[in-house]
Amino acid sequence: MKDEVVISFDKVSKVYKLYSSNKARLLGIFIKKVPYKKKKAVNDVSFSIKRGESVALFGKNGAGKSTILKMITGVTFPTSGDIKVEGRVSALLELTSGFDQEFSGRENIYLKGHILGLKDSEIKALESTIIEFSELEDYIDQPVRTYSSGMKSRLGFAINVNIKPEILIVDEALSVGDAAFKNKCKEKVNEIIKNDNVTLLFVTHQTAVAEEFCKRGIVMKDGKLVFDGEVADASKKYDELYKKKKK
Amino acid sequence: MSYFGLLKENLKEHKDNYVQVLRLSIADLKKTYHGAALGWFWAIVKPVVSIFVYWFAIEIGLRKGGDVEGVPFVLWLIAGMVPWFYMNELIVGGTECIRKYSYLVTKMKYPVMTIPTHTNISKFLVNAILVAVVIVIFWICGYPPTIYLLQLPIYMLMMFLFFNAWGLFAGMISAIGKDFSNLVKSFVTAVFWLSGVLWDVDKLVETNLFFKIFFMINPVTYFSYGFRNCFVYHKWFFEEPEKLCCFLGLYVVLAFLSLWAYKKLRKEIPDVL
Ligand SMILES: Nc1ncnc2c1ncn2[C@@H]1O[C@H](COP(=O)(O)OP(=O)(O)O)[C@@H](O)[C@H]1O
Ligand SMILES: [Mg+2]
Repeated sequence: MKDEVVISFDKVSKVYKLYSSNKARLLGIFIKKVPYKKKKAVNDVSFSIKRGESVALFGKNGAGKSTILKMITGVTFPTSGDIKVEGRVSALLELTSGFDQEFSGRENIYLKGHILGLKDSEIKALESTIIEFSELEDYIDQPVRTYSSGMKSRLGFAINVNIKPEILIVDEALSVGDAAFKNKCKEKVNEIIKNDNVTLLFVTHQTAVAEEFCKRGIVMKDGKLVFDGEVADASKKYDELYKKKKK
Repeated sequence: MSYFGLLKENLKEHKDNYVQVLRLSIADLKKTYHGAALGWFWAIVKPVVSIFVYWFAIEIGLRKGGDVEGVPFVLWLIAGMVPWFYMNELIVGGTECIRKYSYLVTKMKYPVMTIPTHTNISKFLVNAILVAVVIVIFWICGYPPTIYLLQLPIYMLMMFLFFNAWGLFAGMISAIGKDFSNLVKSFVTAVFWLSGVLWDVDKLVETNLFFKIFFMINPVTYFSYGFRNCFVYHKWFFEEPEKLCCFLGLYVVLAFLSLWAYKKLRKEIPDVL
């Protein structure tokens, strides 16, 4: 059970098609000849992650980290290669994390729960925990479009960590919000990865945060996996790459 | 994947997620109406106003109209116009459904083929209420329900399925390029005026073959007149087999196109939206 592989990437590549305009993209559906450029965002990446592991993904902007997380979540698809994912994935992709802007925070909790296939009673049981965690107070009954980005990510975080995920994916969401909320999030993440055997994957630019709860680190550069190993070595590698770029 | 496989996948997605689909259609309904102070009232007011305007323009302004099959023009108009309200909503709404629910595509793993369905159900429910109102109006005007009303659910179901396929096809294409939405929007008015929702196409159909074919393959005409078959003409849907066959043929073509669009674009839309 413990050694079971829950995520595996086998020679995965992802190519984005870049058209010169939206019109060209539309025409491209019907006419093959419409030219487009290719951007290889993820290039021949292989790794596997076992149940209960927590892994940090490093890499500068555009290295392909978000693309990898999106492929694990199943919202975007690889151009080639095989991906296997086992377990319920709860993902915080970018900040807004899929809210319906017209609905209130509370309605969004239910909506999200329903979409994930939870029953009303199950959501009701989690509702107060989520609201309390999000610290939204009166805003919980206001439409989400009136929220600041910090509020949205707080609500997103509160929902995603409280619906009992098996695989938790956090893309840079830990880097917003004030220090107090960040600490609370870290504690919560620590708690669930310890107690519930949850697999965690997250992206951050702060190597110190990563070292707090990850044993393993993966470093990406221009779509390629350049390092996979101990988190301390990974953050060293990342710092090296980063410094080189700075010069 | 073969088209048969895609069809199976489509049905399976609906079967596995019907609870979510129903929840989302209710959420869609709420969202459409809860921003407005009068809420649900608008679902009735809008159609009443437009029927009044068209009736006034034609019967009072142009002095056309007159009884059709012994039924006043305004009732004939209502019978054909009620399905149009639904079709109008879906021609446009279906085109925008995936864009509107882009968070279901880009932020979580969700069965994309069911997105047109929940948009469709929410509009369908509103239309079902309107249909009930129309039955009452006919009754009050001295035309109590006849046995021909029994086929209304059949027409409504066909309409639902047809526009569901349209929603998947148009929604996928428009997710890739917004221009397609604009194209559809600019054609809606033309479709309305050219489909006999407002005026009787039967006289035109007799004059030449082109018109006959044109209205035969026009789904809007089919449903508008289908509803009139129930309320005014008192004809069964199987009494017009060539129209039925044309419609079914068209439906098969559209269903294919929707699966084709899905197959081709499913993997691309998350990267574009
Ligand atoms: N939807 C998209 N369409 C086209 N290019 C994209 C898309 N998403 C990401 N990219 C490109 O792919 C590369 C990797 O992006 P991303 O995975 O977001 O990197 P990271 O999260 O590491 O900053 C970038 O060069 C980015 O511009
Ligand atoms: Mg990113």
